Amino acid sequence: MSENFESHRQELRRGTAVLACLQLLRTPGYGYGLLEDLARHGFPTDGNTLYPLLRRLEKQGLLTSEWNTEEARPRKFYRTSAEGEALAAALLTEWHELSGAIASLSTPLTDKES
Amino acid sequence: MTTDLTARYLGATTAALPPASREDVHSELTALILDMTEARTEQGEEPEAAERAVLTELGDPAVLAASYADRPLHLLGPRYYLTWQRILGLLLKIVPACAFVGVGLAQLLTGADVGTVLGESIGTALTAAVHVVFWTTLVFVILERTGTETGADWSVDDLPPTTRETGTGLSDPILSLVFLGLVLAALLWDHIAGLVHLEGDWMPVLNPGLWPGWTLVLALIVLAEAAHAIVLHARGRWSRGLATVNTVIAAAAATWALVLLAMGELLNPEVIELARTVGAIGSNSLGTLGALLGLLVLGIAVWDSLDGWAKTRREARRV
Repeated sequence: MSENFESHRQELRRGTAVLACLQLLRTPGYGYGLLEDLARHGFPTDGNTLYPLLRRLEKQGLLTSEWNTEEARPRKFYRTSAEGEALAAALLTEWHELSGAIASLSTPLTDKES
Repeated sequence: MTTDLTARYLGATTAALPPASREDVHSELTALILDMTEARTEQGEEPEAAERAVLTELGDPAVLAASYADRPLHLLGPRYYLTWQRILGLLLKIVPACAFVGVGLAQLLTGADVGTVLGESIGTALTAAVHVVFWTTLVFVILERTGTETGADWSVDDLPPTTRETGTGLSDPILSLVFLGLVLAALLWDHIAGLVHLEGDWMPVLNPGLWPGWTLVLALIVLAEAAHAIVLHARGRWSRGLATVNTVIAAAAATWALVLLAMGELLNPEVIELARTVGAIGSNSLGTLGALLGLLVLGIAVWDSLDGWAKTRREARRV
């Protein structure tokens, strides 16, 4: 049962990481800081999935990146591009619609029968 | 700044990446590992244990590199698997069988003993099967890696007719084509080298005088039969037209053999002569054998023709 739940939960959450990254990176952020932010907001993500994801989003033009070498440790800062923000807005609308659709499933059965 | 363990991890990850992104990934991953380790040591962990834990969390460098480079972690994905399976199945039905029969025939003709014939045939068939599997798979792995379309999209028109079980399955045309190919090969071989070994000599079974005109007619009949088998498979079911063509081809083949037999021109006179003298078979017996051969030819033609009509009727009733 719990094993089933875990796999379904992962299935349901897949894809939300993209939206979360696009939203969070409206203020520039680097890998580890983003990992912590994601966890704090309730999107626990593994480092080995986040980094390839960031790279993929960058390749698609949804994120831009810049090296910050001012500090002791050079870090690559990512930032959501205009295209990325547009996509995030569209995905958010989708998410709200989905949320409404799910909620409509919970209406008492008697309503539907009559 | 980085320890030996981290350096090895970074080396193992970036080595499998395209050179263009190597340096970028190296610097970014270094920062991540140091950040993650630092977060753990701040919680009071030993630096060495923290580093090990971080690298363990990041996992197998090969997997990490593959997801960086967007490389598939499978040999054949769902996009190509079924096409691969279909083509491989088809080839495995045809190629090893042809290799088996072909090599067996060649060995028999060179006078090898039964053990050698079987051994060589089975060995070659197995080798052929291994080659088929390897090369087919290699082609599909390349397709998978290059993302080429096979153009094998499914459409409703691909649905097999429900009448396919009545005997127009895939094995039917394949068996027919293999058999017809062998007939052509035997015709050619008979003319070039001879199919029977009598009195220390190879000689043709068929009358050499039939070459090339009559042989060509027979070859055309065989090719017509092959075309019929292919059309039948493509349509997936028998029809009146196909049954008619089948009857015409069978009649043509029977006529060819019976006319030549009646004229006494079908078989090589030398072979008959040898049968008479060396085999001590009387003229009467030879006549009887000829008649039996004629009946056999006629029987096969009639059976083949009726078989086509019976299948046509059975399939017409099903629809």
